[in-house]
Amino acid sequence: MCADDEVSLLVIVVDVNPIWWGQQAQREPEFTLSKCLDAVMVVGNSHMAMARTNKLAVIASHCQDSHFLFPSKSWRGADNGGDDASSSGDGKYELLSVANNLIAEEIRNVMSKSEYKGNSTETLLAGSLAKALCSGQEMKSRILVIKAAEDCARQYMNFMNVIFAAQKQNILIDACVLDSDSGLLQQACDITGGLYLKIPQKVALGQYLLWVFLPDLEQRSQLVLPPPAHVDYRAACFCHRNLIEIGYVCSVCLSIFCNFSPICTTCETAFKIQLPQMVKPKKKKLKQPT
Amino acid sequence: MEDFIQCSTTVFVLLFGLMMKLRVQLQCKNLHEYLRELSPDLLDRLYNHPATCLAVYRELPSLAKNYVMRMLFLDQPLPKAAVALWVKKDSQKHHDECVSVLSGLRLWHSQQLQGGLQGYILNPVFKDNLRIALLGGGRAWADEGSTLGPDRHARDIESLDRYAMERWEVILHFMVGSPSAAVSQDLAQLLVQAGLMKSETGEAPYITSAGFQFLLLDTASQLWYFTLQYLKTAQSRGMDLVEILSFLFQLSFSTLGRDYSVEGMSESLLTFLQHLREFGLVFQRKRKSRRYYPTRLAITLAAGVTTSPVSSYSKLAPTPGAGDAGFIVVETNYRIYAYTNSELQIALVALFSEMLYRFPNVVVAQVTRESVQQAIANGITAQQIIHFLRTRAHPVILKQTPVLPPTITDQIRLWELERDRLQFTEGVLYNQFLSQADFEVLRDRAQGLGCLVWQDVPRRVMVVTPQGHSEVKRFWKRQKSHT
Repeated sequence: MCADDEVSLLVIVVDVNPIWWGQQAQREPEFTLSKCLDAVMVVGNSHMAMARTNKLAVIASHCQDSHFLFPSKSWRGADNGGDDASSSGDGKYELLSVANNLIAEEIRNVMSKSEYKGNSTETLLAGSLAKALCSGQEMKSRILVIKAAEDCARQYMNFMNVIFAAQKQNILIDACVLDSDSGLLQQACDITGGLYLKIPQKVALGQYLLWVFLPDLEQRSQLVLPPPAHVDYRAACFCHRNLIEIGYVCSVCLSIFCNFSPICTTCETAFKIQLPQMVKPKKKKLKQPT
Repeated sequence: MEDFIQCSTTVFVLLFGLMMKLRVQLQCKNLHEYLRELSPDLLDRLYNHPATCLAVYRELPSLAKNYVMRMLFLDQPLPKAAVALWVKKDSQKHHDECVSVLSGLRLWHSQQLQGGLQGYILNPVFKDNLRIALLGGGRAWADEGSTLGPDRHARDIESLDRYAMERWEVILHFMVGSPSAAVSQDLAQLLVQAGLMKSETGEAPYITSAGFQFLLLDTASQLWYFTLQYLKTAQSRGMDLVEILSFLFQLSFSTLGRDYSVEGMSESLLTFLQHLREFGLVFQRKRKSRRYYPTRLAITLAAGVTTSPVSSYSKLAPTPGAGDAGFIVVETNYRIYAYTNSELQIALVALFSEMLYRFPNVVVAQVTRESVQQAIANGITAQQIIHFLRTRAHPVILKQTPVLPPTITDQIRLWELERDRLQFTEGVLYNQFLSQADFEVLRDRAQGLGCLVWQDVPRRVMVVTPQGHSEVKRFWKRQKSHT
């Protein structure tokens, strides 16, 4: 029936932007970061329970960096005899309880670090996606992004590069958006063939994840799932990162600018500027005195 | 009027009076088939353990898994119409397959909703226990060895693998008849009850044709077949089937290399543990040890459940820890080179080939018509021989496609077909008709009923199937009373 011996990896990238989550805790106290992570663990457990060869990875995407919540450096894999006695006494499958405990511990470490260097308030999503791509090299994998804060225009370039790399490696990117629509993620899902969903009710996150994002590519072809959203394909200019519809394009490297500049900043080609034709003054023929 | 129908209800031998034993094909069920045969309340008791629910869940088709996941956290039934809308139009037959699988295993049942519509709801026992397996909140499956402190005589994974292989091979050696292999009385009896060996009173048991077929399977299928046979006899030993099955599934989800404690296990479970120790599924230092280590065999037990044994090519190594997974090279000149010095493997190769030479590290054999037909006479099929060769193929020949030379595989099949010139059909003989007209009337009647197997018109002889015999006889008696 379904004796797949192929390893199938699910990487869940969770946006743990502390500023957005802090505000969220005040707006809606019944849906906090820990509830979100509970839902993530439920879908992660379900994925691992589905088949013996399924693997899971969880990355927390923060303002300053991205952390692997699972597998963390101290975990050596399910095949070795785990000598940490942290398995559950409550009936959970051993493998899952080890994973859950590790995730809980790591997220506590990540969020309790109080040093903040720099003033950035935006989530470094592109970096997390890049890490996710690197970890899914030898096996069939897909990425699920749970996005909270808004898009960061400064990451446009990196983001697009990551998306094209994922497309090349046949890695799906799915997006589950909690708050505001994200044009970048819509493009990512459209290009790689994943699903994009903006959740109407945040408290039902777990149920949405199980219904929509748990099935893998094969099963998705049989199920009826939310249709693709309208994608905003406007590019961002390279100078200000504004989304523009009409702009100037360098003919050598195809970079996009909103304002004209004589030298392309990416490839440093100098453009020959077409100045208006200089009219040569006509030499007046001196009238010959007769 | 004498009755001129001669009824003979013995097997009607067609041509030259050769009596051959009917070949019994080894039937291996997979987990779902086995569970479907259990009674409903036994199933419900079985689903009372999270490990069983997880094992059953893993065997479902992938669409069915999604259905179960979607309904796992719902407390009310879902309308059947809504569930039918979950699939796209052209996957309707997958949907029907899922519905039948889930209903057959009693994982969900119909319940009427408030509006009068029919709905599906998950079996509550299954739902609760699957939730516990995924999320916790229930009782521990077994005590971890952590309460006993670290083991001074801890075993690492390699030694566990070696131990498992040793023990399992002893059983196989015993079946092949090696004098050095000795197993307990219990185990010998189990083999006899499973039909793999036969024993005359007072003599040592010897192997049957089913046993030959069993030997050629890959390890995972052998394990599963053996376990199923054990479970069948469990009730007669006074063991609780539910307890044993739950424990088996729990074992299959344990981590290799960890020790577990025997705390809280009942008497019958402890006996079962001792049997498992003999099969090589767990390791225990002494009979009275309070901790045990599951071996790789126990963990692959659940993996062997999905593949249907004879026809598919399991990717597990044929014997655990036997060095490279494959050691047989088959050449187009019908020679087999087996790079092994394991007595068991050599005995298995000798089942269907003629041994030519033996060296310290390699054994050379030739596949001949006599040797293959001898094997077939013992009950092995050509497909099993080919499966055996393919699953133990040396990595060198694994690189070529097809792995085995087609001449060899075709020829083995042809040799098998040569013996299949006779086909046996049971029937009832009608002969000694007094007139052609009588014969024709009865023959037409039998043909009309579709139970005529064979007829010979000049000699007025016909053969009817046993099922049709009573009807034809009744018709004939009516006919006779008219004339």
